[in-house]
Amino acid sequence: MNRKVLLLGLLLVAPLLVMLGSGLQHDPHEVVSPLIGRLAPDFTLADLDGRPLALTALRGQPVVVNFWATWCQPCAAENPIFSELARRYAGRARFISVIYQDTPEAIRAYELQRGSWGPALVDPESRTAIRYGVYGVPETFVIDARGVIHEKVTGMVSFEGLTRTLDKALAARNLGEKL
Amino acid sequence: MISILGRLVVLLALLLATIGAVVSFAAAQRNAGGAVARARRLAYAYAVMMALATALMIFALVRHDFSVSYVAQVGSLATPLHITIVSLWSSLDGSILFWGLILGAFTAGSAFHLRRSAPDQLGYMLGSLFVVGIFFTFLIAGPADPFAPTPLPVPTDGPGPNPLLQNHPLMIIHPPMLYLGYVGMSVPFAIAMAALFAGRLDRDWIRALRSWLLVPTGFLTMGVMLGGWWSYEVLGWGGYWAWDPVENASFLPWLTAIAAVHSALVLQRKGTLRAWTVILVIVTFLLTILGTFLTRSGVVNSVHSFTQTPIGPIFLAFLAFCLVGSVVVLAMRMDTLASDPDRETLWTREGAFLINNLLLLVFMFTVLVGTLFPIAAELVRGVKISVGEPYFNRMAIPVSLGLLLLIGIGPALPWGRADNRNVRRALLFPIPAAIGGLLLTFVLGGRSWGVLATGALAGYATWVNLDQGLRLSRRRREDEPWTEAVGEAVRRGARRYGAYLAHLGVIVTFVAIAVSSSYQVAHEATLRPGESMTVAGYHLTFEKVNALSEPHRISERALMRIERNGKNAGMLEPALNRYDSRMEPIGTPAVRTTLGHDLYLSLMNVGTDGSIGLRAIVTPAVVWIWIGVFIIVLGTAICLLPAGLRFSDRRPDALPGVEATA
Repeated sequence: MNRKVLLLGLLLVAPLLVMLGSGLQHDPHEVVSPLIGRLAPDFTLADLDGRPLALTALRGQPVVVNFWATWCQPCAAENPIFSELARRYAGRARFISVIYQDTPEAIRAYELQRGSWGPALVDPESRTAIRYGVYGVPETFVIDARGVIHEKVTGMVSFEGLTRTLDKALAARNLGEKL
Repeated sequence: MISILGRLVVLLALLLATIGAVVSFAAAQRNAGGAVARARRLAYAYAVMMALATALMIFALVRHDFSVSYVAQVGSLATPLHITIVSLWSSLDGSILFWGLILGAFTAGSAFHLRRSAPDQLGYMLGSLFVVGIFFTFLIAGPADPFAPTPLPVPTDGPGPNPLLQNHPLMIIHPPMLYLGYVGMSVPFAIAMAALFAGRLDRDWIRALRSWLLVPTGFLTMGVMLGGWWSYEVLGWGGYWAWDPVENASFLPWLTAIAAVHSALVLQRKGTLRAWTVILVIVTFLLTILGTFLTRSGVVNSVHSFTQTPIGPIFLAFLAFCLVGSVVVLAMRMDTLASDPDRETLWTREGAFLINNLLLLVFMFTVLVGTLFPIAAELVRGVKISVGEPYFNRMAIPVSLGLLLLIGIGPALPWGRADNRNVRRALLFPIPAAIGGLLLTFVLGGRSWGVLATGALAGYATWVNLDQGLRLSRRRREDEPWTEAVGEAVRRGARRYGAYLAHLGVIVTFVAIAVSSSYQVAHEATLRPGESMTVAGYHLTFEKVNALSEPHRISERALMRIERNGKNAGMLEPALNRYDSRMEPIGTPAVRTTLGHDLYLSLMNVGTDGSIGLRAIVTPAVVWIWIGVFIIVLGTAICLLPAGLRFSDRRPDALPGVEATA
């Protein structure tokens, strides 16, 4: 055993591994959305049946806005998470989705098969998606009771993460009411 | 159906690799020829399984079988057939399967080629390859399983592969070339490990190492160049190299591989640099794994990197295993590979090789530090930073000039001991060529010191390599016809010719890079139909925009009429493509290539009023970068000609006046 080689080798290797390990904890793609902490861009969009829904009409409770499409795999995987969350927070928070680059027919067929957990809004020419800076789907925005964007999730949401955010938003609202 | 079959085949491959590793190491330890032969057959079986798995995936892709998750992820009914097939490597899971296919092929290929080697060395080599195989097959079987069934109900259509990959035919050959280079480095690594385990790096094994190092190095050279070419033809910014982390990831092992190719030569010729060569080969392999980790785990941000995936931690564990394992094996066994005593001076060819190695390593460390610095900064200071081109260029230019100088000096120097007079004469003789190169560069318009220095060094190096290369064919017998003499010389000295040819390719590439990066002219304008702009002697007139609807995209093409010095030079059609799955349009630049320069048109935007934003770039000498690299690869291929390999068996004194190696 050549101790010098061993020592020198491990001295080179160990910091590299520590550094790479720490790098795994961060997502370099994550760009903090400039919208966080600001008033959510307002929109009035129609659902598949043509009923209009305005974001401002939902003020007073937290709103989760999910951008998605039927051709997107992670979106499909999110579906049961949102179903469960919508059930759990019924009456306390609202869940709406904005369809991104997809056809109403595909959405209808999809909802027939998998069910729906909230209104799916049609976004002509992706105007709303552009105002929210959506880069790809799924992206999810959590808007608090005052209409301010609280958090943005790029990629698939996690049940625990979203629960935590919503509980925080609800606690803030209750505190605000008491004050 | 395909999901089940595919998973079964992959599991079988995993089983074969595991048994193969155990059988190989056990056989090697006992030095048992029969058992090693069994391990060899396991290697063939493993390769067949990986090929079968890949065939099944291609079948699923072509059939648009969306019940296979990978097909649902990258497939689309609207995608043309050839792109459907190459989407095998357009996303993470499929690209790892493709990796497995190539690893299988390399394992089987090296097992077959080296089948007559000593059982212990061959056994250890196969064992090491199987261990690498176990890891990648495990990834395919579990964490990055492309055959996983799609959650029900099965979609009727998919999003199609990443639009960037659908935009250019180079994307069909760039990844395979790069993979052949990357994955192929497992073989020299396994050969080096076998040398350490067996405690022997003898003549045959050195030759095996050198050949199996040259093969992936050639592919890697090609792959790196094709990547630059693709980025030039597709990304629309007019450049070919941006020091992007993924580009760096492919460049790092290339630098150490080139260093290893040269030190292996000294080893073969002089018996020195034994442990050093082994270390370089191991580092090259480790850099390929590091590079793959960086691109696949999402640790660094880059155009190429695949998004966040769960395989990051698993890959890190494998990287740690390889790094620590290599260090431990080196520490335990390195002393068995003592080099022959070395009493040479610096002013010999060996000395030049050593400096070449050091320069390449300095280059590698510079690029490595620049690539990893953002991760370190985030760890230490918690800030996001990126290391830009100026850092890399500041380092790359002097090191490249140093390498160019060595390409000239090295081959001019004699091997072994030499008296000072001979050395001085050999080095001073090509000086007129350097002056000629300098003057030529000046006359052609070169003014910056970097370009002038490149010209001078290139002149010097070209002279030396041509002179050395031609020296063999000069020695013909009086009664022998020239044609036969040249044929005989090429056959005998294939490795020499290959090496000098590769050097000439490097010179061409370096000059082209220096010129193209120094004298680019760019101009931007907004044009309405009928308006025109002028850039570097070109008169460009915008006629109209054509919208073209294809199944998978809508393409807007700006028709540009090109005139050069008043003469018609045809049409160019830079385009913006909109794919269903993306909001951002993706541009396809139009390039008019001549031997002297490229005219490069990039469509920035198409206004609603019919006007366009156009970027026009004229870059000299770009095409010579690709030509230069083709010459390098051709030279590498010539080095591998069987005659050249057999040639080294003969003792140098069997051929009076001809050096055995170059």
